[in-house]
Amino acid sequence: MDRSGLFARAKQIKYCLLTSRGSYAYIVCMADLLGTFEQAVLLAILRLGPDAYGRAILRQVQVSLARTVVAGAVYTTLDRLEQRGLVASKLAPGTAIRGGRARRYFVVAAAGNRVLADAQKTMTKMWQGVNLPVAVKS
Amino acid sequence: MNHQSPPRWAELLLERLLPLRDRETVTGDLREEYAEFLAPHFGRLRANLWYLRQISSIAGRCIREGGTMTKLLSLTSAITLLCGCWLALMECLLRHPGFASRATIALLIAAAGMATLLVRLLHTGARSERWLWAAAVALIGLGVFSFLHNVRAAHFEGFVFVISIVLMLQGLLMLATLGRQSSSGQTLTGA
Repeated sequence: MDRSGLFARAKQIKYCLLTSRGSYAYIVCMADLLGTFEQAVLLAILRLGPDAYGRAILRQVQVSLARTVVAGAVYTTLDRLEQRGLVASKLAPGTAIRGGRARRYFVVAAAGNRVLADAQKTMTKMWQGVNLPVAVKS
Repeated sequence: MNHQSPPRWAELLLERLLPLRDRETVTGDLREEYAEFLAPHFGRLRANLWYLRQISSIAGRCIREGGTMTKLLSLTSAITLLCGCWLALMECLLRHPGFASRATIALLIAAAGMATLLVRLLHTGARSERWLWAAAVALIGLGVFSFLHNVRAAHFEGFVFVISIVLMLQGLLMLATLGRQSSSGQTLTGA
């Protein structure tokens, strides 16, 4: 597709960003991009593996972001990721401490892995050749 | 082993806030965190405060759910609630002749706002029930009545003008949301 064709396509697609580099033009679909929090949730699920259920994900996200996170934010993100087909979930029986309430276990779907890999590539590209002008205090 | 658990009323409130799909799993997750980590390490008070914070975050999620119309409905209901409470308080403090009846009307207005908010936020399963339609029509009627009464009155009250507009808007939004839900099977919660 030539440049004018890409512009026409970008106008059709909602939430798209048209970017150009040299003589090439790219369409970046915003729907395919992940926010930092979504990445943190997906990475938490990957880290936890088979033990990735709501509470464990909440704790893991808090550890990786090094801040307090409210449950509402995590569950909203999990819902959204599931609706986008990036994660899948299944129910499992609960324990006595939960009052017998079921647990919902999450796994990252193939699309989720692909989007995470894209996000990592984009980040690496963005930071290539960048030297921060001021030393950042940790 | 006897585990500590969150207050029953808080758990019930959380259950009502959650859609049916998440009701068991989310309350279970929070109860597990409460009983296994928070209550033993930080005590019941801090654990309860943490639990309330999680409830408020989930209530925030409910408000953000749904379309523009349902969000506007929440906003107008909240304004109605606040205005009703403020009016009732002022009537009780100033004690002008006939304040009791006016304070009662103000409290009824506040109750209308509160009821709409609760139906909107809590997954009560309230669908196109006749009382919701009747409430919407009553709100519009009350709004129109107070608007006209205020316009014709010797002293124009800006505050009453705002409340009457909000009441009419809330009633209209309720009607629109109820009409949409009856055609699509949604509830006022937007779920």
